Parts: sequence; C-alpha cells; structure tokens
Amino acid sequence: MEIPYTVKPRPDTGLYNGKLGIWLFLASEVMLFGALFSSYVLLRVGAEPGTWSMGLMNITVGAGNTMVLIASSMFVVLAWAELKQGNLAGYKKWKWATIACAVLFLVVKWSYEWPEKFKHYDIWLNDTKVLHGKFEKGYHATASREGKSAEEHVNGFYTKRFFKEESKLSNDNFDKAWTNGTLALQGHINAYEEAQINVEVTGWKADAGVSEADAEKVLAKLNAAGSATALLKDGGTVKEKVGYDEAKRAEYALGQAGFEVALRVEDYEKVPAHPWVWRTKRVNEDIGGKPRVRSIFLGLDHSDDGEGHHEEIEIETRHISRLSAFEPKHSTFFGIYYTITGLHAAHVFGGIIVMLYNMLPIGLALWHKDREQFTNRIETFGLFWHFVDLVWIFLFPILYIL
Amino acid sequence: MSDSHDSPDFIQHLIRLFYMVGGVLVAGTLITVLIDVLFHMPLPLAAFIGLSIALVKAGFVVAVFMHYKWDKKLIMITWTMVLTFIFFAGMMGLIMWAEGDAPKLNRAEMSIYWVVAAALLGFALPASFTVLTVKLLSQPAPVEAPAPKAKRVAKKKKR
Repeated sequence: MEIPYTVKPRPDTGLYNGKLGIWLFLASEVMLFGALFSSYVLLRVGAEPGTWSMGLMNITVGAGNTMVLIASSMFVVLAWAELKQGNLAGYKKWKWATIACAVLFLVVKWSYEWPEKFKHYDIWLNDTKVLHGKFEKGYHATASREGKSAEEHVNGFYTKRFFKEESKLSNDNFDKAWTNGTLALQGHINAYEEAQINVEVTGWKADAGVSEADAEKVLAKLNAAGSATALLKDGGTVKEKVGYDEAKRAEYALGQAGFEVALRVEDYEKVPAHPWVWRTKRVNEDIGGKPRVRSIFLGLDHSDDGEGHHEEIEIETRHISRLSAFEPKHSTFFGIYYTITGLHAAHVFGGIIVMLYNMLPIGLALWHKDREQFTNRIETFGLFWHFVDLVWIFLFPILYIL
Repeated sequence: MSDSHDSPDFIQHLIRLFYMVGGVLVAGTLITVLIDVLFHMPLPLAAFIGLSIALVKAGFVVAVFMHYKWDKKLIMITWTMVLTFIFFAGMMGLIMWAEGDAPKLNRAEMSIYWVVAAALLGFALPASFTVLTVKLLSQPAPVEAPAPKAKRVAKKKKR
C-alpha cells in the first residue's frame, strides 16, 4: 500500500503526513513527561522538612551529559541539512557523531552515574545521641583542618545537602531534621563484622526414620569435628566458627538426619567488603534482627584525615534504624529521579535503534529510491531527538541543581 | 520546512544558525552550573533563574533545531501543541483541585510573594508563548506562490 503525502504536504493540513504524525506523538509525549514533572513538583512541595534528599547528585557528570546531548541534537540537524543538499556522505558523518553522543550519554549514565549511586549508602541511626557522637568522630578531621567546630562543619554540609540554600530558613529545617533523626550518615560500606557460628548437636532422635549409619554418613560429609559415635550419643560441637551460610546449611542437613541442632555465635570476624559485594550479598537485609552482622564500617564521604583517606567509623547494627543505598527505595527523591531519568534513557535507547536502522543498508535503501522521502524521514526523527534533548534541558536543572 | 526555503544559500544560512544555537545551549548550561556553584540562593529564586534559562534553551531548540521558526504556515502543529497544553493544564488543575489539601503550597517557610510570583510565571509563560504563536501565524505568509497546491490539483485531475 502506498502511503500518501510522504513528500508533498497534504493540502488541508499543510504538512506531509509524517511530520503531522510525529508532532501528534510529541504532543502525547509532552503529556507523559509533563505528568511526571508535575508529580515531581507536588512530591517536593509536599515533602516534610529534611526528607528531600537533594544535593546528592554529581553536577559535573550531569552537566557533561547535558553537553553531550546538546551536541547530539546539533549533529542530528546537521545530518538533515547535509541530506537536504544531497550529500549522503555528510549525512553519515553527522549521524555517526549523533549515535556516538547518544551511546556516550547512556554509557555514562548506566555504567558510571547510576552504579556510583548504588554503592553509596545512607545510614539513619535510631538514637540522636549516637548520631551526634558519630558525626563528631567522623567529621572531626576535616572540621579541625578548616578551623571550624565539628558541629559547624556538619551543620553547613548537611544544610547544603538537604536544603541547598544558605538562609536562616534552611538552618531551621536542618535543626528540625537533626532532632527528628531524619539526617543520615553518608558513605561507602567498607567492611562488616560477620558472626562466626558454632554448630552444635544436642541430641539424636532414633525414631526419626534415619538409620544410625546414615546419620554418621551425614556427619562425615560435614567433616564433623568430634567422633561420630560420641556425637550421636552425647551431642557436641559439629563445626566451629563457620560463616552464617555454612552454619545454616549444616543445620538443615543435620535436621534432616534427625539431629537437634543449636547455632551459637562464638565470635565476630571483620570481613572487608567492596560496596558492590555488600550490595549483592544482601547482608543488609539481616541488619537489626539477627546476630549475624554486629557492626558495619562506613567510609564517610566528605571527610578525610588530610592524607586523602576516608575516615572509617564503626556503627553497631543495633543503633541502625534504616540503611539504604541511593536506590529508588532510598527516598521519594530517588524514586522519582530514577523514574524520570529512566524513562528519558529509554527514549535515548529507542533513538539509537532508529538511528542505526537509518544507517544500515535496509534503511538507506529509501534514499536510493526516493531522496526526498528519506530526507523527510530523517527530519521527523530529528524532531523526536530534539524533544528528547528538550526533556533533558528541563531535567538537568530540576534534578541536579535546584 | 516550506518549499521556498530549499535554496542552497538558505541551507548554508541554517547551518550557521545551528552552530550558533549549539553555542547558546552550551553557554546556557555553563551559566546554570556556574550560578549554582558560585551563589547559594533561596530555592524560589534559584528555581526562577534555572527554569528561565531552561526555557530560553528550549525556545531555541524548538525555534531553530526543530525549525518551527520557518514553519509559520503549519497551523496544525501550533494547534496540536496549544490544545495539548490546555488539556494538560486542565488535567493538572483537576488533580490540584481534587488533592487540594495535600500539598501545602503556602508553607510557613515559603514567602507568599514567591508563591504568587511562581503562579504568575507559570501562567504568564505559556500564555505569552500562545500569544506570540498566534501573532506569528497572523503574519502574512512568506513569499510563496500557491504552486504546489495547483500542481496537485492538476495531478488529481489527470488521474
């Protein structure tokens, strides 16, 4: 079927159909992003003082990405201008530049900016006294170097971080958040103290349907410390100072073999943890309840001892009321941040696919068939791409700066 | 792009404009960042400056990159966008009306003058955009013979 008016404007609309189509699509996009922008404004205006986690963004990266997107927006329109002059080679040059910019934008976002957020943690402590103590310890070095008291330093830093304005008003907000305990320590989790557990058996039920020989086999498989017969008869320690996962596995195996098992925390061992490892192991889910992790070691950001080391402080899990990386669940701010930037990134990704299609022989075939129609196709894509740029032009100040 | 603007000279003129607008956008971003780094100002003022710069940048993108400036004839686009805005504003108004008690726009911490200023700005900017668009549209069309239309009519007759 021949689609009408792909080159010449339709008399009643004054546009070729593709152009009207893309503008209608953009109108729907305006509403989609507009709704999210409005949600952002409503959520922010309605937030309690001290709960809007602003100032955590990396402005340099954000501004750099803005530049990249602006450049790509310029390249895509230059590519169209080359086509208009009948220069396919020039089109290809600018189009590759556009694709390079788009890919760079996504690479920066998905391999640096977001992952960097995922390994930064906020730790809210459930006692204001503990909070004060940790602040003073953690931020002492930097504070003394600048000739400020620890409190002044922390106050200034957190005022900026949460409220982004140096006025009397924001200090009030800071004080409120400080007293409510809604402020959080920020940093990387460098290590944690993991429980070393003794696995003990307290008895063996002969009527559990497992033969003595089989039970002994289970003990042998677990490399039990004592002799199998003695363990069967009187009980005793099967494993000493093992990790949580191993202890749980042994508990299950022994339970299946008819033993009554008891796990006892014998000692704690400091385990160095790369922020990523910490995250993937999900040890943090246990925080608070079980004796598995007694304390974590937080490398504070914005605090070093003068030699470039981050001050590391130990925080006992019983003092922690909440712990979260800068993930969507961290706060309303990060929730809406990932929603909007994620949707925008999806648009960039879709744009890359369309651009690649228009660079491949299958897409270029149209150029050899009908040059004007191909030029119009590139123009309509350009309109979409400028819109994506436009969204980012508003996203950047709203999410990164204000 | 209307057909009268297809001359090579005009395309060259456009390309120069594209580079210029690219420069303006980069400058706008730099100014936004510099203002944030150099000064700490109350949020409403920062929002006003930041969003104003963003609006100027957006205006350049729409006018030049999307060559809206030369698409004066394209009343359909204008109506599409204006009606979208009215529809959207209406929907948001409905939500604000329904949820009237949830966000306290006149929080104690925020001066009422800023709220009024923000409201006026929020109304004035789209309104001025609409007025300007209508003004642009009411100008006489650029020198252009109704040739394409006539041609098409001729073709149709042939078929």
